[in-house]
Amino acid sequence: MAQLLSMPQLVAKDHYMMTIKMDCPSIRPGQFVNIRTNEGTDPLLRRPFSIYDADGSIIRVVIRVIGRGTEILCRMEPGEINMLAPLGNGFTVENAGEVLLVGGGVGNAPLLYLAKELKKAGNRVTYIYCSRGKNYIFGEDEFRSAVDEFLITTDDGSAGLRGFATEVAAHVISDIKFSRIYTCGPDPMMEKTVKLANPGAKVEVSVENYFGCGVGICVGCTVDTTDGYVRACVDGPVLDGRKIIWKNMPD
Amino acid sequence: MDTSVKIGSLTLKNPITVASGTAGYGEELSRFVDISKIGAVFTKGLSMKPRRGNPGNRIIETPSGVLNSIGLENVGLDEFIEKKLPFLVKSGAVTIPNVAAHSVEENIELCSILSKTPGIDAIELNVSCPNVKQGGMAFGTDMCVFTELVEQAREVTSCPLIIKLSPNVTDIASFALRAEEIGADAVSAINTLLGMKIDIKSRRPHFANKVAGLSGPAVRPVAVRIVYQIYQKVKIPIVGMGGISNIEDVLEFIMAGASAVSIGTASMVEPAVSGKLAGQLEDYMKKEGISSLDEIRGAAHRV
Ligand SMILES: Cc1cc2nc3c(=O)[nH]c(=O)nc-3n(C[C@H](O)[C@H](O)[C@H](O)COP(=O)(O)OP(=O)(O)OC[C@H]3O[C@@H](n4cnc5c(N)ncnc54)[C@H](O)[C@@H]3O)c2cc1C
Ligand SMILES: Cc1cc2nc3c(=O)[nH]c(=O)nc-3n(C[C@H](O)[C@H](O)[C@H](O)COP(=O)(O)O)c2cc1C
Ligand code: FES
Repeated sequence: MAQLLSMPQLVAKDHYMMTIKMDCPSIRPGQFVNIRTNEGTDPLLRRPFSIYDADGSIIRVVIRVIGRGTEILCRMEPGEINMLAPLGNGFTVENAGEVLLVGGGVGNAPLLYLAKELKKAGNRVTYIYCSRGKNYIFGEDEFRSAVDEFLITTDDGSAGLRGFATEVAAHVISDIKFSRIYTCGPDPMMEKTVKLANPGAKVEVSVENYFGCGVGICVGCTVDTTDGYVRACVDGPVLDGRKIIWKNMPD
Repeated sequence: MDTSVKIGSLTLKNPITVASGTAGYGEELSRFVDISKIGAVFTKGLSMKPRRGNPGNRIIETPSGVLNSIGLENVGLDEFIEKKLPFLVKSGAVTIPNVAAHSVEENIELCSILSKTPGIDAIELNVSCPNVKQGGMAFGTDMCVFTELVEQAREVTSCPLIIKLSPNVTDIASFALRAEEIGADAVSAINTLLGMKIDIKSRRPHFANKVAGLSGPAVRPVAVRIVYQIYQKVKIPIVGMGGISNIEDVLEFIMAGASAVSIGTASMVEPAVSGKLAGQLEDYMKKEGISSLDEIRGAAHRV
């Protein structure tokens, strides 16, 4: 059983960090947890969240409050929680040389643990952290110290560079030849990042579409790819970005 | 203590089964449940050829329920038999494929082939699918169309045949009775209730197919009522389902008249639940001093 170790901490506007103890084998970056918000029937479904960081049996997740389920979770009292984890496939971690990570909003969450593991594997890691504005940035120091090159962009210019992550990515990509690019964030950002990627670079994206079960039994989370439909919860959430047919992504 | 349930010539070791569409082909669920220890696994609605299912949004939560518009995505008959069935057989699961084609001919072909396939224990014919020849109206909502389909299916099906009724009719019990008259071994109910979600921001239906199927605890009282009404009309076993999440719900369906029950949406929330319920049912029987479920089946009718 999983234990929430303390009240979720406010880490940025509308964003809370949960620290959870669980028995788990090994966790790969990009895997997710699926949490029940209550033991009743409403809200009914579990809510999926990426693993932000893992250290032994302690994991952390960042929750952006956008609706009823996340509202309940951010106020949860410490104690036992009903969570299935770790789920999903995760990013590829190996020594590829120069790697670029591009995160947008709460989509930065799965990329911290990835950055740390990529660094450990011997890569040179460049990170573009995109956010709506200064108040929404979480974990800045952790990201900064985990990577070699750290750039912030905000939509309103309140921190770092003003503009979209993809504009900055375009510059960075023209300077450095990355052999791998990893991204998580809003679909249009991920789609553009894939298009910008250096020819030959592998691009892994973590999709965050609406899930039913999170364990592969309902086929509710399909993403259209050049290999046909895949289930984001078990075949992903990390997918080959070049294979996704973006115009068919569900809303 | 006897928890077994008979459906025609088939014996289920207990009445807890997992419903079609929320059990995949057993493999994913088997990470959470010992599928040899539950009554049966009803696999995803099957067609002859693989079907891609609906584009766009496919699922959304509703108050205590779920609306789905999967569109019967499935691997098709060949891959089912070659790649999916072996796992179910190896795991020792009682396997009941759900036949869900869009024409009478295709349904018949599926029933015919599947009932001769080793490893298939029974067939569940899903009559809630749209009949393409009739402008997409579900087979199970028109008595003539329903009769034609069930008669032909019965003829070609050599294994036990379960008819999964559509609840989207005025008098579902009359369809159950017709299925019994034709020689079906059991009926199952309920399939999802037709529902809809409109996105007020875009002012459009949330699902490409516009309407969708409602399931989960929200539909449970409707499902209990339907099982109760079917039990009044037929003698063949009823596989009851609709919102079952815990042992109290299981008992309610059995007391309404169900011989077996299916867990659908609840597996999406708690994938291990069906396995737990099988154990809890035995605990309940011990505690209440019940040796056979016949003692409580249909109890609500004996007032
Ligand atoms: C693999 C995966 C990883 C995720 N990781 C994180 C994470 O690390 N941190 C985080 O804060 N969130 C993450 N999410 C998104 C998170 O699961 C949803 O925001 C959450 O389930 C919403 O629950 P709610 O009850 O608050 O919202 P609801 O009340 O259910 O919905 C509120 C609004 O948000 C929309 N919505 C709900 N879920 C999603 C979704 N998945 N995608 C797009 N719109 C949605 C609804 O349509 C509605 O308009 C992840 C999702 C997936 C699939
Ligand atoms: C995601 C999903 C997919 C389903 N697919 C099928 C199907 O392929 N064939 C079928 O007969 N019923 C299908 N159903 C209906 C269920 O088998 C069941 O009849 C219904 O959901 C009511 O039970 P529940 O409330 O326990 O889910 C599906 C239900 C859901 C939620
Ligand atoms: S969410 Fe159910 S299969 Fe992926």
